[in-house]
Amino acid sequence: MNPRTLRIGIRRGWAEYVHFLRSRRELVSGLIGTVGVYVLLVRWQGDTIVEGTGESQAVLMTAGFVAFALFSAGLMNLPMGISADREEGTLLRLRTVPGGTSAYLAGRAVSVLLQIAGYVLLMLAAGAAFAGLGLPSSPGDWLTLAWVLTLGTLSVVPIGAAIGALLPGPRNAASILSLPLMALMVVSGVMFPVARLPEAVQSVAQVFPLYWQGLGLRSVFLPDSMAVAEIGGSWRPAETAAVLGAWAAAGLLLAPYLLLRAARRESGTRLAERQERRAAQGAF
Amino acid sequence: MSGPVIRARDLRMRYGRAEVLRGVDLEVGAGEVVALLGPNGAGKTTTIEILEGFRRRSSGEVTVLGTDPGRGGDAWRARLGIVLQNWQDHPRWGVRQLLTHIAGFYDRPRDADELLEVMGLTAQAGQAVGRLSGGQRRRLDVALGIVGHPELLFLDEPTSGFDPEARREFHALVERLARDEGMTVLLTTHDLAEAERLADRIAILVGGTVTVCGTPSGLASVVRAASEVCWLEDGVPRTERTSDPSRLAFELHRRFGGPVPGLEVRRPSLEQSYLDLVAGKDEPITGRRAA
Repeated sequence: MNPRTLRIGIRRGWAEYVHFLRSRRELVSGLIGTVGVYVLLVRWQGDTIVEGTGESQAVLMTAGFVAFALFSAGLMNLPMGISADREEGTLLRLRTVPGGTSAYLAGRAVSVLLQIAGYVLLMLAAGAAFAGLGLPSSPGDWLTLAWVLTLGTLSVVPIGAAIGALLPGPRNAASILSLPLMALMVVSGVMFPVARLPEAVQSVAQVFPLYWQGLGLRSVFLPDSMAVAEIGGSWRPAETAAVLGAWAAAGLLLAPYLLLRAARRESGTRLAERQERRAAQGAF
Repeated sequence: MSGPVIRARDLRMRYGRAEVLRGVDLEVGAGEVVALLGPNGAGKTTTIEILEGFRRRSSGEVTVLGTDPGRGGDAWRARLGIVLQNWQDHPRWGVRQLLTHIAGFYDRPRDADELLEVMGLTAQAGQAVGRLSGGQRRRLDVALGIVGHPELLFLDEPTSGFDPEARREFHALVERLARDEGMTVLLTTHDLAEAERLADRIAILVGGTVTVCGTPSGLASVVRAASEVCWLEDGVPRTERTSDPSRLAFELHRRFGGPVPGLEVRRPSLEQSYLDLVAGKDEPITGRRAA
């Protein structure tokens, strides 16, 4: 990618992010949806004492919701955005332009990183306001926070992009993605300690990055005494890095191939076919 | 630049077992406006997408601006302008914002504000793209297609869905681009009147091959289907189709030994000939190529 394309891509990502912030629907689902649900849950369940620790559940839930915000930006917003760009012809438009596909990918990366940063800061602020969340106290915790967020982002963004390249269309995308995401949210310890769930469910949760993102964040924000409520009674940082790293590697291997294939396959006839199909669906 | 801007020889495209293009031959010289005319499903869009480098052909020899479009890189792409059908992209972007963004990809782009003025979109500059009317949207598509100063412009069904007023304005715009800037233009259309109005040459694509190709007036003589000669014989109306109506009239005249009752010669319009051609009723009378 030459410097000009990269520069255009970064500017494009910023513009997309501003459009995202201005869109009422995103604001409702992002702010009211995620933060609102979080505040309600903390108010309702936050005082529950986590079994065997004597500590309340509020901070645990905060860490879970920060993880979920990151997770859903990468695996819900990003694929839906890419899918919409394919359907509306945005990807095709950039294909007609020299360097357009590269700038598009750079722009998407920038806008999803800005979204993740925004969501994470928003959730941390909400945590400070509603759950007494404090900033990490030791340099070690700051370091953990940095690598968990970085690796956590890398574990979902490329996979999310790959999913976006495969999805049929943005309308179907929401229904295809939201159910598994909600299921993962329930089993991955976002709202209550995962150790409470049956072991089979625990094993499933541990395959996906959400559990590990939450675990890493809990290790930053919770006192070490609360590790007893986790699977194996430990924060397991090495396993966290390994699982998140594996997802990142898989995504980074798959995404470029799938995205370029999706871009290459875009053409006017495909666009027309999809729009006709959508019009036909709309007629029913 | 030497040689044609577009050159296609025996271009073929197969999807599975269906052969959409069965040997398209096409040549477009620098500065020419050529219309690819044909009914829906004739393969116009497939042809233009292969030339734009968006689709891999099954076989045939193709060069666009001296390069095989299947291998064209960014430097090649920068010399093309492309306006497709059905674009609904970047709905949240501002009109001027999108034009400036796309202009940024080119070495010497047009000035965005001047271009908006030319396209009559100055009043919409700050508006979201998704809120433009159909005609405005299409003009923006053309602005985006020519913002990089292309040498060759592809227009795929540029006026479909236009009202007559918008269509007239659009025709004037394409003429201006070709005349004042010497831009080479290849457009597809299923509207004969549009092709006649805009094109230096028309290539008629029927059933996946270019049936005839020539100037609008040259085409008229080549494509012109058989004339109809009507007369009355024993009080019964008779009709015969012939490529040589004057000869038939002369023969009738001799047979009747004088004036032929009710003699009438109907020469079909270019439009009727085109429709016959499309319907496969008539093969063109003379050879494949007109002047």
